[in-house]
Amino acid sequence: MRSFTTVVTAFCGLVLSSSSIVSAKPTSESNLLPADFKPPQVFKNVNLVRSTNLEKSYARETINVVVENVDKQPQSEYYLSFPSDVFERVGGLEVRNKKHAEKGRLDVEAAEVDAASDFQYFIVHLPEPLAPSSQLTLGISYSLLNSLQPRPAAIEQSDRQFLTYSFSAYVPSAYQTVSQKTKVKFPSANIPDYTTTDLKTGADPERQGTTYTYGPYDTVKVAPGTSYAITVRYEFTKPVITASLLERDLEVSHWGGNLATEERYWLRNNGSKLLTQFSRVDYTVANYQQSPSTAIKELKYPLKPGSVDPYFIDDIGNVSTSRYRPGLKNREANLEFKPRYPVFGGWNYSFRLGWNNDLSSFLRRAVSSDDSYILKVPFLEGPKMGEGIQYEKVVLRVVLPEGARNVRYETVEGSSSNGLPSASQIQASLSTHKTFMDTLGRTALTLTVESLTDEARDSQLVVRTPTFSRHGLQQSLTWEQVTYDYSFWDGMRKPITITIGLFSVFAAAWAITNIDVSIKKR
Amino acid sequence: MAESPVDVLLKGSSGRSARGLLRIIILVTIAAAAVSSRLFSVIRFESIIHEFDPWFNFRATKYLVQNGFYDFWDWFDDRTWHPLGRVTGGTLYPGLMVTSGVIYHVLRFLTLPVDIRNICVLLAPGFSGLTAFAMYLLTNEMSSSPSAGLLAAAFMGITPGYISRSVAGSYDNEAIAIFLLVFTFFLWIKAVKNGSIMWGALAALFYGYMVSAWGGYVFITNLIPLHVFVLLCMGRYSSRLYISYTTWYALGTLASMQIPFVGFLPIRNSDHMSALGVFGLLQLVAFAEFVRSFIPGKQFQRLLTASIILTTGLAFAGLVVLSMSGVIAPWSGRFYSLWDTGYAKIHIPIIASVSEHQPTAWPSFFFDLNFLIWLFPAGVYICFRDLKDEHVFVIIYAVLASYFAGVMVRLMLTLTPIVCVAAALVLSYILDTYLKTSPGPVTRGRSNDESSEGLRSARSPEVGITSYFSKAVTTSAAIVYLLLFVAHCTWVTSNAYSSPSVVLASRMPDGSQFIIDDYREAYYWLRQNTPANSKIMSWWDYGYQIGGMADRPTLVDNNTWNNTHIATVGKAMSSREEVSYPILRQHDVDYVLVVFGGLLGYSGDDINKFLWMVRIAEGIWPDQVKERDFFTPRGEYRVDDQATPTMRNSLMYKMSYHNFNKLFPMGQATDRVRGAKLPAEGPQLSTLEEAFTSENWIIRIYKVKDLDNLGRDHSNAVAFDRGNKRKKASKKKGPRVLRSE
Repeated sequence: MRSFTTVVTAFCGLVLSSSSIVSAKPTSESNLLPADFKPPQVFKNVNLVRSTNLEKSYARETINVVVENVDKQPQSEYYLSFPSDVFERVGGLEVRNKKHAEKGRLDVEAAEVDAASDFQYFIVHLPEPLAPSSQLTLGISYSLLNSLQPRPAAIEQSDRQFLTYSFSAYVPSAYQTVSQKTKVKFPSANIPDYTTTDLKTGADPERQGTTYTYGPYDTVKVAPGTSYAITVRYEFTKPVITASLLERDLEVSHWGGNLATEERYWLRNNGSKLLTQFSRVDYTVANYQQSPSTAIKELKYPLKPGSVDPYFIDDIGNVSTSRYRPGLKNREANLEFKPRYPVFGGWNYSFRLGWNNDLSSFLRRAVSSDDSYILKVPFLEGPKMGEGIQYEKVVLRVVLPEGARNVRYETVEGSSSNGLPSASQIQASLSTHKTFMDTLGRTALTLTVESLTDEARDSQLVVRTPTFSRHGLQQSLTWEQVTYDYSFWDGMRKPITITIGLFSVFAAAWAITNIDVSIKKR
Repeated sequence: MAESPVDVLLKGSSGRSARGLLRIIILVTIAAAAVSSRLFSVIRFESIIHEFDPWFNFRATKYLVQNGFYDFWDWFDDRTWHPLGRVTGGTLYPGLMVTSGVIYHVLRFLTLPVDIRNICVLLAPGFSGLTAFAMYLLTNEMSSSPSAGLLAAAFMGITPGYISRSVAGSYDNEAIAIFLLVFTFFLWIKAVKNGSIMWGALAALFYGYMVSAWGGYVFITNLIPLHVFVLLCMGRYSSRLYISYTTWYALGTLASMQIPFVGFLPIRNSDHMSALGVFGLLQLVAFAEFVRSFIPGKQFQRLLTASIILTTGLAFAGLVVLSMSGVIAPWSGRFYSLWDTGYAKIHIPIIASVSEHQPTAWPSFFFDLNFLIWLFPAGVYICFRDLKDEHVFVIIYAVLASYFAGVMVRLMLTLTPIVCVAAALVLSYILDTYLKTSPGPVTRGRSNDESSEGLRSARSPEVGITSYFSKAVTTSAAIVYLLLFVAHCTWVTSNAYSSPSVVLASRMPDGSQFIIDDYREAYYWLRQNTPANSKIMSWWDYGYQIGGMADRPTLVDNNTWNNTHIATVGKAMSSREEVSYPILRQHDVDYVLVVFGGLLGYSGDDINKFLWMVRIAEGIWPDQVKERDFFTPRGEYRVDDQATPTMRNSLMYKMSYHNFNKLFPMGQATDRVRGAKLPAEGPQLSTLEEAFTSENWIIRIYKVKDLDNLGRDHSNAVAFDRGNKRKKASKKKGPRVLRSE
């Protein structure tokens, strides 16, 4: 992790990428803090606005907070606290200095408290220590996976689905907060139940269309960590798509000039279960009337231009209900992946998808050296659904050619959130993968991220960084860049091996046919 | 004839190598044609395992690959035949799975990541290429004509009779067994011709492989002794025969006994007794020959007569005693049905219920073999003209296989090789007669070398047909027949034998293919959304598929080793709910799966198979299940409002038509398979509830309800719920309802 921190501290305002050299020795992911740990009260939240977005099948929260240093020393470590039960489900946490958002994210580190404490912390490392009495605006964004519970938990097939979301009116901050409010954005105006509070004068929450605002509260006297439970229950007519695991393999072939992608999904619908069993008659009728359903009927999967040979299979073969619509020249192709059966609440569906791309649009030779290559690939693609998808675990494996060395990777970032957590939350390891007549085995870089959402597939703004702008990088995907060394002789290894193998077979055949084993008299 | 560069290539030693090369190229091309004509199903559909039995073989192969050979050998499968389980390792022919497993591991060793499914799917086409080659070798032993072997290989490669069991995805024992059959016969002929221990041992080795691969090995076990016996009767005893048969029998029997499923059958089962008997007879004959060389003729005759009477009497008495005491097992039921086609129908309905055990219809001979079938007798006749030991074999094989193919559809498979041999003999004879301009009188001599040398030195006058007209007519006729044959084979393969039957295809109005994938939809639903230990009850046809695709325990499957268990399922399906429910509970059934084609007009559904369930159940419980009750007084099998009460109350009927009428306007529900208009009021299920129905309703899965919470019986509970539908919501609210009860 040291290398990473050095890169960050050597921030020059131009390099907007975090990079990691993959090392064999495991880096400690988190600092262990004692159970009774309390963050030093060196900051004060002057004003805090939290926006909770419930339009998708997970909760997406953005906190803008004005932080003031109330200590006498300059401070550089801001503790972000989460209740312990939520902590594990925080995905894609990103903290930025709002004033200098284009400088990229701040370094965030998980600091788990040892025992079953009520709160767990992330430590935000400020790039420059905050001087006493000066202020800083932090933009904190993250999503909370599996935070929406269907109520009632089981419904009839044709009933409407309602989700509940529980949170605290007071943002669980480690520091004293002067004023705070929470805006909740709902997907529809049908909100049958919500908690009303008397924490402030007048109606709380204030309702405005599909946005409810709790607060602002004057919370100077409220001790940090105090919670006031609020539960909202709202209609959500779409499925709650959860991938308990996504394995994504990217295989680079220099000889074939091919980038092969395979994704394996273990999907689940976390929506309301069926109260009675599935009825095909009702389903057919509902389908005919086109009424909304909480079942996953189809996953729309845009593929990059130039994607060829797609396949969509599950454990027992081709998913014949699906369609692939190839795009016209330089247009996105569309894979309409339709599960074999509608996936209702509580049901599972696992499948795999794969396709090929021309490698030349992802790989280039490094300027510095002839034997060094730079591979730039999307970190996450995944279906593009209005209701969003939450990924509990994503394992990305980049299989590099046999003999690739000095593998380094970095995630490419822009001025807005890319949905990925900071580099310290991404576990990386190198291994060898033996396939297709390999002798040494191919170098495989495995990156594991827990708690991701399909935010990681989209980032709204154009990436404009001096380092990459000359490649016209205007993508809506989160890119990941891998650098490795690969010499000419590495590429020749396989043809030579096969040649030697075949010749030895011929030689052996010749030798065997020349042995006379007959028992006749000579 | 003028010397041309081509002649240089075709004559002399370079000519020989050129012909050899050409032959290899032709054989490789034939093998390629054999493989590619079997790939229709992969191209039309996908690389998928077909039908029923292949799914078990595939599952077993996966088990072998995952757990290793010894675990596979000792495999006790508790996920089939619940609650009995099956000693799978000891009750299967492992040859097929081991072959795939070996291929898989070799490929893994070469680090080629080929999916085991693809190996299984492509095993049959791959082996068909080898079969064509083995056929070439076998036929070459029969004829001196160079073209006979190549023709036979080509016939074998593409004839539908063999393709029917070896298309890509048809991963069944026959996939490799036909190759082994043909190759074992080739080795046997070779052994008899040369009197060589090596060839005999090789024949035994491949016989052992064959035993490990297919129950049809009994065909070899009986055919080879019969060949020897007939040769003995023809007075053709020779030391060659003695050496080859004794080697084959001793080694082959030992090899076959290594298979657990076969075990001691070779010395205890009647099916194998002929081999043992001929083995003994051969010893006697050999001894007699030995004695004859020492004793003068007259005394020898007397000795011979006495000893024959004595040994025959002893052997027969021994056989009777052993059979009576049960040391030698009686003939199996399947075997009896070979001799009496009505036997199975009366005594073993489960065998008769399988379509491939039905007698063959005449057109299917032509359908499967095309013009080979009328060349076949001529080929057998040709064998009589030149009656050497190997020709006797062809004749015996032809007679036996023709009979068996007439009795059982699936035995068409064993007939096909010999038809190809015979047809190739005839056709090559015709072509040789009409095409060769200067055939010497020694064309059919011992070997090619001698004849060509003799030709050159003797310069014998031209013999044969010289008229170009008759040549042209005959050869063009032959070519037309051959072309028609190829066209027919391709057409049959593409239309009749290339459907996976797991996936159904139909055409959209615009001509594009529309795939009906209900089986996999439902099986995958089971696999993903039910607990891993849910027991699924279905008719035995679907047992292997459920095990393979849904990966759930089943009650009965296509192995059909326990007739009573199958009858139990039949009884549960054909009885009223009150009778069925205890059966379901006793067998821990969680889900019941039925196949229903009424919506789509898919005729292979369970209602059409229902009578077999009834018959099989009646075989065990004649007083509880009666086939007659399912027919109307006028003897009709109906499902509409004329259906008998027994029919309408049977679980199968209720499960098939449950909720079906809701799909139609009032009173309009129609069963498209049976063309019947269903009663307006659909059947009511009380002990089961619909859990899943596939898109086209082909598969319907029902969940067996747990016991009622209030101890009522299910029909009362359902009646209560229906009568108070409005109150259902209040009942959910809390214990208040309970208290008022």
